[in-house]
Amino acid sequence: MALGLALVLASCGDGKSSGSGSGSGSKSEVIAIAADPLEYINPLNENGSPGIQVAMAMFAPLVTTDPETGKLQNVMADSVTPDKTSQTWTIKLKAGNTFQNGQPLTAKDYVDSWNLTAMGSNAWKNNGFFSKVEGYDALNPPTPDGATPKPTAVKTLSGLKQIDDLTFSVKLKVPFSQFGLTLQYLGLAPLPEEVRKNPDAYKRKPIGNGPFKLAADWNAGDDIKLAKWDGYKGSLVPQADEITYRFIPNADTAYNEFLAGNVDFVDVPSTKVKSFKTDAPDQWVTSISSGANYLVIPAWDPRFKNPKLRHAFSEAIDRKAFADLVGLSEPAKGLVAPDMAGYRDNACKYCDFDAAKAKQLLAEAGGFSGTLNISYSTTSATGQIFAEAIGNMLRQNLGLQVKYTGKQGSEITELANSRKLDGLRFGGWGHDYPSIEDYLTPMFKSNGDANFANYANPALDAVLAKGDAEPDPDKAIKLYQQAEDIALEDMPLIPLYTKSNAYLHSAKIEPRVSKFVGVSALWATFK
Amino acid sequence: MIRFILRRALAAVPIGVLVTLGVFALVFAMPGDPLRELAGDKPIPAAVLAAKRAQYHLNDPFIVQYLLSMKDILTGHFGTTFAGADIADQLRLRIPVTLKLTLLANAVQWTLGLFFGIYAGFKRNGWVDRSLLLATLVLLAVPGLVAYFAAQYLFGVELKWFPVSGVLEGFPRSYLLPALVIGVLGFAGLARLLRTSIVETVNADFVKTARAKGLGEQRVLWRHILPNALLPVVTFIGLDLAGMFGGAIITESIFNLPGLGQFMFQAIKLKEGGVVVLLSTLAFISFILINLLIDLLYGVLDPRVRNV
Repeated sequence: MALGLALVLASCGDGKSSGSGSGSGSKSEVIAIAADPLEYINPLNENGSPGIQVAMAMFAPLVTTDPETGKLQNVMADSVTPDKTSQTWTIKLKAGNTFQNGQPLTAKDYVDSWNLTAMGSNAWKNNGFFSKVEGYDALNPPTPDGATPKPTAVKTLSGLKQIDDLTFSVKLKVPFSQFGLTLQYLGLAPLPEEVRKNPDAYKRKPIGNGPFKLAADWNAGDDIKLAKWDGYKGSLVPQADEITYRFIPNADTAYNEFLAGNVDFVDVPSTKVKSFKTDAPDQWVTSISSGANYLVIPAWDPRFKNPKLRHAFSEAIDRKAFADLVGLSEPAKGLVAPDMAGYRDNACKYCDFDAAKAKQLLAEAGGFSGTLNISYSTTSATGQIFAEAIGNMLRQNLGLQVKYTGKQGSEITELANSRKLDGLRFGGWGHDYPSIEDYLTPMFKSNGDANFANYANPALDAVLAKGDAEPDPDKAIKLYQQAEDIALEDMPLIPLYTKSNAYLHSAKIEPRVSKFVGVSALWATFK
Repeated sequence: MIRFILRRALAAVPIGVLVTLGVFALVFAMPGDPLRELAGDKPIPAAVLAAKRAQYHLNDPFIVQYLLSMKDILTGHFGTTFAGADIADQLRLRIPVTLKLTLLANAVQWTLGLFFGIYAGFKRNGWVDRSLLLATLVLLAVPGLVAYFAAQYLFGVELKWFPVSGVLEGFPRSYLLPALVIGVLGFAGLARLLRTSIVETVNADFVKTARAKGLGEQRVLWRHILPNALLPVVTFIGLDLAGMFGGAIITESIFNLPGLGQFMFQAIKLKEGGVVVLLSTLAFISFILINLLIDLLYGVLDPRVRNV
């Protein structure tokens, strides 16, 4: 009854006021992060979005993508130079940069921090990044199942060499023309010596080299309050003087905090995709995300062996209708994200909806035997809806029998890894560095990190290797496009859609929106 | 008295072992790999995976993992969660949050429940009684999840009477809204139970006898009716208090209160057996303590059960 009364009361009251504008001259903003609060700040041991987002404010990368032009731009680095084969890279640092404790930033800081991360027994999350560097295997010997990896006698990557105070070189196991692009990853941030000696002691009082430092003591469960650090001499300085990151694990609650005017920036959760434009008129921005979303074909299942059958599946899917169902999405026409250099509008020959052709292709492939199973993640609210939408299209357009299996995401991954998964599932991938190579290598190279289809084609591996060894960026892109063509012809993954991300921002800020690096509240403009 | 308490404590030990073992088995049987769940779609280097598995004993057999967890709990070496949070730190942070929420919510619920229950019991078929019946039906039909979000939107976002979420504004302001919603959703059951109990007691022979003896109405109410009518209600309140923890999982998530419920939710999501068992043990101990208190209170209210 009390609730009913309240509803009546509410319809009379007009408590609406908007914006959290403080009015004073100080440029401060509150950014909501819909995730559990961070436990530590150490970019080398952090590869999740919330951690890296905070690290972006406190640490500066070697290089970064210019949000205006999409070109690589130096930040801490003065120059990044490959040798003729793209196998050895020399990185020269700008002079005069320091850590927030006043110590000068030197090549030794990079070399030692990287060695620390590359040591498998430390179990730092960005360990895998260094697997391309010569000497990685010595620091990460194979460990029997269940055993604790022991610190190895070797403490340093043989491919990492300090040349002088401001110069060091990285020798890779094999040539890799895109290595320069990978250096913008925050997971390669330098840690000063005192932190390296005892990282745990500094997990809540990080010493960075970026534009912001902690403004107040930070304890478990606290929001993270940052203040501008005067010592930062890099480019791309954010306008804000103070930033608070508020952690609100429930995304709908974070959204409500925005509507109440208590935060300045929030991601639009999937439940609000249909309503955010009316909930916050003139206070939203969208940007195409760099994620590729697709259906994964199980390469180990002989029923899916014929590429014509895969093409048939692909042509039986009405991508426009599916993208509308997902919301804020466009049909995908290739295997890489549309904002990458080298993306082609119509790379995929078999991605246009054509039920008649799909039927014909299926007949040529000899049909599909048995029931088609589609697995979906039960942890995602929309998993079952999407699976049924795809299933219905395949059933109606190809006459297949379809069933659906809901399981936890990690369980599906495990089944796929042990090649026991029966049928199709959904997959997605977003790049770590802006290169079409970062879609093709992880997803399609034999044993690639994100090769969820367990696909292997020596011809594709060979073209990728050629691209990796090609120092001329334009020629490298041509080679990578050849690899994409091979993958599309074999179609171990069926491209589905490209999603846009939507964000709400208060009236006092205008987030930076870039075609190349997406939306950022950290680099917002203040009004 | 001391013997009674000791006997209860001893009896709780085997039940505690069964409960924790059961909970641990449930978490263990959940599908999925916790470390992969934590990493999402990101590939994890084999070396990192191996080191983490060894650190958290994830490759050990079920019973070894259970015993290690119990050892950690009993020796107070809680260690860290898979995400790297210091568990002892988390408990220090979260126990007060859940306690404050639970106590405030119960205060709301008991005040409303006792007031409306007693009033309706004495003025049977009056308008309060009838409204209570209607309210009970309505409130019991509203799913908590809907009510929490609706209240948050209405009183937090639109009217701005209360903070939307979080504990930034401290106690009691930050806790008022969730506590009010829990209290309002929960009071109806208590009120109806009390009403029925009072109606039964009012008609009991001993009340008639008391009245026949010429005792004043006030004395009949406070000394004869209420102590007897409250007996079943005390049991209800005890069970309800112990059950609050389960409800806290949803409330704390929606109102972003960093309490034990939210911690439990994260732990279950990540299949973090050790933390789930630790929190279940805490819940179990508080359940035993509350039950003990209720039984002692029973003795105060009803001398007949003192020596049972």
